[in-house]
Amino acid sequence: MQEATFLILTALAAGAQHGYGIITDVREISGGRVRLRAGTLYTALDRLRADELIGVDREEVVDGRLRRYYRLTPKGSELLAAEAARLQANAAAALSRLKLGTI
Amino acid sequence: MTGPAGLEQGYRRLLAWYPAGFRSEQGEEMLAVLMAGAQPGQRRPSLLESLDVLRSAVRMRLRSMISAPQSQGWADALAVFSVAAPLFLLAVDILEVALPYRVRATSRFPLLEELLSRHPEVGGLSLLRVQFFDIAVGCQVIIAVLALLGLRWAALAAIGASAAYVAVASTWIDWIPRPLQLLTAAAYLLTAAALAASPGPRRGRQLLTWGHGIVLLLAAGAVQASTLRYDATTPIMGTLSHDATPSVSLVVTIVLAAAALAVAGLLRVNRYFLLLLAAMFYPYVMQLAYPTNSSSGDLLGHPTPAHLAVLFGPPLLVAAAAVIIAATHRRASLPAGPGQPGVA
Repeated sequence: MQEATFLILTALAAGAQHGYGIITDVREISGGRVRLRAGTLYTALDRLRADELIGVDREEVVDGRLRRYYRLTPKGSELLAAEAARLQANAAAALSRLKLGTI
Repeated sequence: MTGPAGLEQGYRRLLAWYPAGFRSEQGEEMLAVLMAGAQPGQRRPSLLESLDVLRSAVRMRLRSMISAPQSQGWADALAVFSVAAPLFLLAVDILEVALPYRVRATSRFPLLEELLSRHPEVGGLSLLRVQFFDIAVGCQVIIAVLALLGLRWAALAAIGASAAYVAVASTWIDWIPRPLQLLTAAAYLLTAAALAASPGPRRGRQLLTWGHGIVLLLAAGAVQASTLRYDATTPIMGTLSHDATPSVSLVVTIVLAAAALAVAGLLRVNRYFLLLLAAMFYPYVMQLAYPTNSSSGDLLGHPTPAHLAVLFGPPLLVAAAAVIIAATHRRASLPAGPGQPGVA
């Protein structure tokens, strides 16, 4: 899974968000390192919707502009959990090897 | 125009690069995100923003071209096949004309050697001057055009006329049947079933994507490469005289066929459509596997009823199954109310 995809799914893990909300949340989660642009975001959202990992939660009109909120589907939650566990296991292995190396 | 209105116009111009479907569904939403992310006082889209949106638009267009939403059912597979198979046969003929090659007769066939010394080229534009080939290609063009136009019964009639022409012509011309004729025969059989039983070629044309096109073009390439190998290794056709060798042709065939399968898998092409393709290729592959000098006999030169059953049994079964399943589904989808017209 690409990092941007992982971060988008993570941004949606706590609740539904609209496009700009996802961009700001991803920047925050990544400590400012990943700055999604609108084109990249919507390419990813389109693919994630096609793969049924996310769905549309609701729509709102704020200041005359359309906001569409996205949420994780159960399939998306499962995939994110599996990917997070995989990354955690890899990170734990790396840290444990590094500790061994410093002894 | 300057200020936010000018910026919005700039973003709208960028969004125009997206496919119409995406724009109508998500254009306004994406515009809102672009406007929300703009810097205070920004008057036009930045270069990086523009490049990002353009790249995304190109990717979306490519994606919509090669993977349009596909139904996974039998009926739609038949509808797509009813258009795709005639286009595929046409692609095979075009490749035959576009990629000529030369053969050299073996000394065991002096008559053929004499003939080939006058017409050493196989394929190429000269093919179009051969009466049998030009009419056959003309038929393929007509069938493909009628299918593309969605004219189901006219396309069926053209297939019948083309098959009748080949059957009659083969009695007056002392022509050598080749595996390609088996491919055409199986394609005609299955296309006729698909035209008769599917929701129609108009529906097939709607579902046809560039993904199908890529798969069929790769398959047509594999057919051309395997025909080269067949002609090079079959005594009656002689041996290749230029740099292409049978082993190179075999490798090219395998690579192109594997690429076709990989692309089909990657693009999630309807599995029933793939089954129809497999049935279409079956007699062709069988003939390639049992060439004319095989100890199991000549499947083409002197076919027995058993040979014909082996060659055309599976495509016939698939065609019959497709017709029965499609008819059953159509009956099941009929409205329950009395006196209601059926769904086509």
